[in-house]
Amino acid sequence: MVHEVTDPARSPGLNTIWPGRTSPTWTGYPSQLGDSGLDSGAGERGAEQAPPAARWMGWRLRLLFTLALLGCIGLYLLIRAMTMAPHIAALWRIDAQGRIELAASNDPALHAHVGQTLRGATGGDAVVVLSDAPALQRSPRWIIDDAQRARQRVLHEQVGAVLAHPEVTLSFADGSSAESQPRPRGLLGLPILFWLLSAFALGLYLVAMVVPLANPSGRNLVYAVMALCQCGNLLAIAVECVFDFGLPAPLVRWDMPMRAALDLFTAAAMVNAVCLHPRRLPGSGWIALAAWVLVLTLVGGIAADALVNAWWQTQIAVIGLGLVAIGLLSWSHQIEPHPFAIVLRRFAVVTVVTWTLLTTALAAADRLPGLPYNIADVGSLVWYVFLGSLLLLVPFLARSQDFMREFSLLAAISTVATSLDLLFVSVFSLGQFASLTLSLFVSLAVYSGVRQWILNQLLGSSMLTTERMFEQLYRIAREVEAQPERTPALLSQLLGDLFEPLELNVVERRTAKTRVARDGSAMLVPVPLLGGETTPRGSVMVRFAQRGRRLFTSEDARLTDRIVEQLRRAVHFDKAVEQGRSEERLRLAQDLHDDIGARLLTLMYKAQSPEMEDYVRHTLQDLKTLTRGLAASNHRLSHAAAEWKTDLAHRLTAAHVDLTWTFVFDEDILLTVVHWSALTRILRELVSNAIAHSQARTLDIDFRLESDRLELNITDDGVGRNPRAWSHGLGLGGVRKRVKQLGGQVEWREVAPHGISCRVIIRHLLARG
Amino acid sequence: MPVKVLIVEDNPVARSFLSRVVRESFSDALVITEARDLETARRQIGPLRDAAQALDPFKLILVDLELPDGNGMELLTELGAYPATKIVTTLYSDDDHLFPALQCGADGYLLKEDRFEVLVEELQKIVRGQPPLSPAIARRLLTHFRHGPGGGSAPNSGPVPLVSGFQSSRPVPMGRGAPLDHERLTPRESEVLTYLSKGFTIKEIANLMGIKWFTVNDHIKSIYKKLNVSSRAEAAVLASKQGLV
Repeated sequence: MVHEVTDPARSPGLNTIWPGRTSPTWTGYPSQLGDSGLDSGAGERGAEQAPPAARWMGWRLRLLFTLALLGCIGLYLLIRAMTMAPHIAALWRIDAQGRIELAASNDPALHAHVGQTLRGATGGDAVVVLSDAPALQRSPRWIIDDAQRARQRVLHEQVGAVLAHPEVTLSFADGSSAESQPRPRGLLGLPILFWLLSAFALGLYLVAMVVPLANPSGRNLVYAVMALCQCGNLLAIAVECVFDFGLPAPLVRWDMPMRAALDLFTAAAMVNAVCLHPRRLPGSGWIALAAWVLVLTLVGGIAADALVNAWWQTQIAVIGLGLVAIGLLSWSHQIEPHPFAIVLRRFAVVTVVTWTLLTTALAAADRLPGLPYNIADVGSLVWYVFLGSLLLLVPFLARSQDFMREFSLLAAISTVATSLDLLFVSVFSLGQFASLTLSLFVSLAVYSGVRQWILNQLLGSSMLTTERMFEQLYRIAREVEAQPERTPALLSQLLGDLFEPLELNVVERRTAKTRVARDGSAMLVPVPLLGGETTPRGSVMVRFAQRGRRLFTSEDARLTDRIVEQLRRAVHFDKAVEQGRSEERLRLAQDLHDDIGARLLTLMYKAQSPEMEDYVRHTLQDLKTLTRGLAASNHRLSHAAAEWKTDLAHRLTAAHVDLTWTFVFDEDILLTVVHWSALTRILRELVSNAIAHSQARTLDIDFRLESDRLELNITDDGVGRNPRAWSHGLGLGGVRKRVKQLGGQVEWREVAPHGISCRVIIRHLLARG
Repeated sequence: MPVKVLIVEDNPVARSFLSRVVRESFSDALVITEARDLETARRQIGPLRDAAQALDPFKLILVDLELPDGNGMELLTELGAYPATKIVTTLYSDDDHLFPALQCGADGYLLKEDRFEVLVEELQKIVRGQPPLSPAIARRLLTHFRHGPGGGSAPNSGPVPLVSGFQSSRPVPMGRGAPLDHERLTPRESEVLTYLSKGFTIKEIANLMGIKWFTVNDHIKSIYKKLNVSSRAEAAVLASKQGLV
């Protein structure tokens, strides 16, 4: 942890460890535009830009608007095309033997055949025999065997030809047949899944456009590529789910190459992205180039049908690239402990593991006949949704959208659940129901475990406990009250304990409220004005939470604001209490002094004997010491000594006794009221005693305070003898009592040639009282 | 002609006690007037405007700080131009109470709880021009003159209207040639104050500084006056700023 004050002249040096920050607005402090591109994509634009930047923003805003419009128009056209596609008004399902069964239909001609198995279809002169029917319902992308995919393509083409005719005859397994007219689906006929996926894809598309436009940089462009690829994947799945069987011919031909390309591009872009973010890695250009070359070669091979086992190659390439990305992120974190690297690596690990699980499950399930194809499809679908949600989450990570976090977590767990379901069915030959239950159970267990783990990671497991937090808050409040100028240092200390950051700096820059900056790797906390002063004191910049393993979120910012508010309240409260106490003490002192003092004075003037007069005078002086102790809080030792000396000299002069005064101290400590009043009374009492009884000519007072050890010697040259035999009345009894109160000892002894010496020793003066 | 003395004190026992102290202190023929509150005191003093020209003004005024109808400092402020030695009698020995009184123009203070002999001696000293100065008040004075009305940049702060009538009433004329001196202490005066604030007696200070006892005393007197004048000047500046003068 570094506690230091960054002077403005030095801060621009920070720039050198922030690669890729070449924005001209960079001044050493995070400016709105200077913040990371991913970060600034999320809507902090606008308020603070300089005029030229505003012009640029205007230009970019217009472009963004155009792109968003284009996206919407594109989606509209797609929806329109889907509503026009010919469709037989019937609902099909796959039975236990892997055959297509009519589940329900609104068509009266078909209604009679509900529950029967479809064998074939005839439309005009085109005939299709649905022997391998279940394959029709699968996405070509997720068919593992090349030969099977080729067969499916032929089948799709045949079905397409049949459906192109206005009249289609469906023949069923029991020999019966039914006539049906394929009609356009219409808007309402589109499945709900299609709408959901399209909406999701549109959202992803918009984010993919906003991020690079908000801050055009290499990293953000790569991010846009990833997001666009996943957007394409989601749309492809949406389109596929519209067709029961028989995809349009171009889609059948290009589905596999296109979707494999989208997956591979995403993987390559991921490698490229981690080369640039959170920091540019050495040799990043070459690594990225290698990834892209590999991917483009593969895509070319798949497109030309020149690749054997295309599915396997795609899957393995994606896993390989994912592992490379994970490795690169670890390396990046070693070079610079940016918490973003950790978070991204966590995401990458989850993504690659689920992808591998999905691949394994599908490969295992493929060996078995009659496998639950739709589960396979759902598995891949859920995985894409998961990846899409992760991509949506990344730019807003520091802003911590709880909902998004939970959603992507849920999507990941669903992928795991479906993959496990497939695995259980295929590997352990469990029944469908048993497998489903088991996989759900396991996934829920994993979910609850992982969720807690992730929350701990995000909130920080080593966060201060509430109890310690409060304790520290009040301690700091007291210190701030005593020394308002130390507020930044004390606040830094508090934040340091709270977030365990790698860096803590006090910077000149002011912010209105706490804010997360630089992708959540830093947080800027304004130093509150606690001491009643008015000049702002800059901010505390906290960087790399939890030793660079955690990102700051907007919740952290809110938490910090609340803590600062609590600190402010604690300080105010302390002040109010202190003020109330001192006012009360003052009032008490005033009353005592005025009322009792005046009465004692009268009593003193009316005293019948000098002894009585002295007695009252001492009482009056004690009262004054008492009230003074009440009114003042602390006395500096040197000041107190000066007053003691003047007072004692005054009295001794009146009594015609010479004073020898020695006062030695190694530290000018602050005496508390207890110390001050006790020492004042001890001195006064001992001197009074000497004046009254010793008939001394000189009095030697030697006061020494060295390393918190006080030694006081008061020696007279009077006629006193045998101090052990003295009766300790009110005066000397009081001295004993006060010395004991301070944790010391007092003794009287005879000195040569004559006189009495009193020695007071207090070993630890400040330790008591 | 007997010397006129005014004792303002609400406690009758204390009043007669102080009368005894005054009688014991001076060999002159005395006429002691007693007042138990501010109102009576004001009546006794009469109109202040022509006090300087009054035939027979009070030569010595003892004022208690805590009076039934107000604070003795009010009277001291009103008596700014009155040609008498003004002494505060109080039970409060701390600088918080005494310092403002000195600023209001008191020439010294007596602590009421002191013995009769001590009081007599102290009163004689004040009248002779040997006012007391406790360490706490010395500290206050040091701070006052360090950060006080002229600070260190006094010479450029322009002419400050001094209360001329007041000056003529003073037995010792002020440094008229350097009207702004009141805002600063001489190095010697600062030194004396510093020693006083550390609890040294006048005799010890004289030894330490290698000067005569009465020279130290002169410094103390001068500091007293500067304090009074500087606070007056401060008040005058404040008043003129507020359009009161």
